[in-house]
Amino acid sequence: MNAPLHSGLEHWLSAPDDSPAPDWLLERRRAARARLSARPLPHSKDEAWRYTSLKGLLEQQFTAIDEPLSALQPEDLDTILIPGFDAYRVVLVNGRFAPELSVLGELPAGARVGGLRDWLGHDPESLRGQLDATRGDSETFFALFNTAGLDDGLVVWLARGVMLDRPLELIHLSVGLDEPRVAQPRHLVHLEAGAQATLVERYVSLGESLYCTNAVMEVVLERDAVLKHERLQMESRNAFHLTGFYLVQDENSRYAGVNIGLGARWARTDLNTRFRGEHAECLLQGLYLAGDGQLLDYHLDVEHAVPNCRSEENFKGLLTGQGRAVFDGRVLVSKDAQKSDAAMSNRNLMLSEQAEIDTKPQLEIYADDVKCSHGTTVGQIEPEMLFYLRSRGIDAAQARRMLCLGFAGEIIDRLGDEAMREHVAEAVGQRLA
Amino acid sequence: MTGAPAVEDIVKSEYEHGFTTEIESDTLPPGLDEEVVRAISKRKGEPEFMTEQRLKAYRHWLTMREPEWAAVDYPKIDFQSISYYSAPKRPEDMPKSLDEIDPALLETYNKLGIPIEEQKALAGIAVDAVFDSVSVATTFRATLAEAGVIFCSISEALHEYPELVKPYLGTVVPYTDNFYACLNAAVFSDGTFVYVPKGVRCPMELSTYFRINARNTGQFERTLIVAEAGSYVSYLEGCTAPQRDENQLHAAVVELIAMEDAEIKYSTVQNWYPGDAEGRGGIYNFVTKRGDCRGARSKISWTQVETGSAITWKYPSCILRGDGSIGEFYSVAVTKGRQQADTGTKMIHIGKNTSSTIVSKGISAGEGSQTYRGLVRIGQRAEGARNHTQCDSLLIGDRCAANTVPYIEVKNPSAKMEHEATTSKISDDQLFYCRSRGLTEEDAVSMIVNGFCKEVFNELPMEFAVEAQKLLSISLEGAVG
Repeated sequence: MNAPLHSGLEHWLSAPDDSPAPDWLLERRRAARARLSARPLPHSKDEAWRYTSLKGLLEQQFTAIDEPLSALQPEDLDTILIPGFDAYRVVLVNGRFAPELSVLGELPAGARVGGLRDWLGHDPESLRGQLDATRGDSETFFALFNTAGLDDGLVVWLARGVMLDRPLELIHLSVGLDEPRVAQPRHLVHLEAGAQATLVERYVSLGESLYCTNAVMEVVLERDAVLKHERLQMESRNAFHLTGFYLVQDENSRYAGVNIGLGARWARTDLNTRFRGEHAECLLQGLYLAGDGQLLDYHLDVEHAVPNCRSEENFKGLLTGQGRAVFDGRVLVSKDAQKSDAAMSNRNLMLSEQAEIDTKPQLEIYADDVKCSHGTTVGQIEPEMLFYLRSRGIDAAQARRMLCLGFAGEIIDRLGDEAMREHVAEAVGQRLA
Repeated sequence: MTGAPAVEDIVKSEYEHGFTTEIESDTLPPGLDEEVVRAISKRKGEPEFMTEQRLKAYRHWLTMREPEWAAVDYPKIDFQSISYYSAPKRPEDMPKSLDEIDPALLETYNKLGIPIEEQKALAGIAVDAVFDSVSVATTFRATLAEAGVIFCSISEALHEYPELVKPYLGTVVPYTDNFYACLNAAVFSDGTFVYVPKGVRCPMELSTYFRINARNTGQFERTLIVAEAGSYVSYLEGCTAPQRDENQLHAAVVELIAMEDAEIKYSTVQNWYPGDAEGRGGIYNFVTKRGDCRGARSKISWTQVETGSAITWKYPSCILRGDGSIGEFYSVAVTKGRQQADTGTKMIHIGKNTSSTIVSKGISAGEGSQTYRGLVRIGQRAEGARNHTQCDSLLIGDRCAANTVPYIEVKNPSAKMEHEATTSKISDDQLFYCRSRGLTEEDAVSMIVNGFCKEVFNELPMEFAVEAQKLLSISLEGAVG
């Protein structure tokens, strides 16, 4: 018999259905569920939840999605797609892989991309070692929930030396249902030695409905692998969004991630990275814009477990209206991780009286031959800059927007595709209007 | 370049100031209950309201739990095994001048190289020497009295100026504040009271030298400094302690109150016994220090050089309430051997155009562990608030640890705050440069480290700066080889 789940979350796990799950997976789901009921709900006394309250989330009484949504046609995606962005495309609707909307075409040999549920149907053993391979101690409460409810998601597996010639776009589309629903997709990405790919993950919705996404992505980069990863969180402004991202990197691998956070009313993003081999590099860039009624909460946990690795974390924030943002970054350099190089920076622009930013960039260092730094700033638009633009005939609102876009541009420019950069810049510009 | 053998040297180096002066102590037996609290209050002949306040604090303390969030690791403290009161034997005939002071005590100071007479003559410092729990010497009273400055022990102040103490005591650090502050409010033994009247610039630097002496005695100091409008005072606090085996708890509370245009400068050099090579013995330093900038344009400045104690848990803070008030925190902290320090500051910006500066330099050697933990909070009404924070860590040896945990909370858009932190070791290039110019490795390291800390030392009063530099050199002797 299952122990009861926490109040407000008791319907997050749907009843077991006919999905083809191997025994080992059922067992893992059960184990995760058991651990969940034993674990207390995150609380503001927990360091990781100091500034973020779960109250709003629990009040919604989300229930798990048990039926796939079949009524969508490819033209429903018209408003979602980015014109001019050429990519392999995988679409998940409400957390469920939608092959009829996905366009994969001719993938290079050795590249396998598909829905997790299908994969479990025909090749479950290959995922056995991959699932939970990246996590360990840093497993969060909601990642456990994701495991307990594990059902569908995306699997990307690139064999040795395979390079994806075009970006792979993962569209996570949410469509409002009659009652508040929670989707818990699980994405598994594995790049074997020397493989290279660009992954663009987009969280979007049709309409401004209320729902919750609790996604977990696990990425394993074997030696010399290179992954460029762009995450665009542009959920409905009524939505709740939770992400757990877990990355492990082998020798000489390279990860470059760009996180854009514009949507959701309440979003919590946990990025956990760990070096397993030397001379690897991890870059985490981020841009968040929190406006009225929004809370965007980022937690970074970067672990230098081995020597000679380099990491860079650079997050920038814009706060308007009654927007709130939290940045909690931690770089841990373990005892033997000599010659580690870590630089963390978090800069924020406060654009309104009611906005709030809570930032906490931490360094935890147990080795002596390291180069680590962090920097944080919170400020407003310099009046001199505004004056300069206004003296050239630009009105105040436009001048402010230009300056904000300039500030955000540093991160937006890291996006690999021109069409994508324009798309994001436009979305940011609209929000600042 | 390896630091290993040299690091062992410092770890093994004997604590210079380790000796116990034989003075008979009038000590309460170990243990804590309401009777003990009453006994302390009675022995000190306190007014009724103090006894009540102590009991209130004690009852609240019973409901509190020891904080566990700090990055320090130590065996649980048995609060019933501590004696909460120890006074030098002759409280009834307190010395009127230095000549009357117990020669053994004077000798103690001489051993420390800080003879009171000399300081009186050379440095122009009035010394309120706290030997264990009761003030036994106060000098320069007359000069200060002339200026209208009150500088005395807090128990004396409670007798003579209750009207000055009562409205302020416990208003900056209320007894409900935290576990150790609450304990202190219940059992505080003695401490210092400074009152600087309106418009007075205190004619000299005020100084208290603490010594923890009787074995098994917790030291619960309480300091209260009130600077009235337009006044200025600079206060120096320095400490050393005799060598001993058992861990000693020190839970002091310091409250500073600065009214309109007033300035308080509070400097600390802390060199308590850090424990032996295995981390045995050594002082637990759990201190609550807070300043309240109540008036407009007031200023409170904390400067600390922390080289001692087995465990340090200390966050001198400023509440910037008055418009245009200024808070400063300059800190050098050294941990070596098995020392652990979790220290930093809090700057709470409430008033308009308030500004704060934080400069923290941490040096971690041997198996020392150090955490900078700081909070900068800029409230919604703190229009034009400004903060600059810099915390740098220097690592010496591959078994030490340095953590930086800054909390930054901003609720006002006109606020400007910057925080930067770096962690590094002494670079081989720097060492090579110095050595190629004929400096020994040790001198080179001492020079580089002193340069690293210069920003903080510059804030110390002259006499203290010299002592601090010497202390740092001694602390790091042979730390890098």
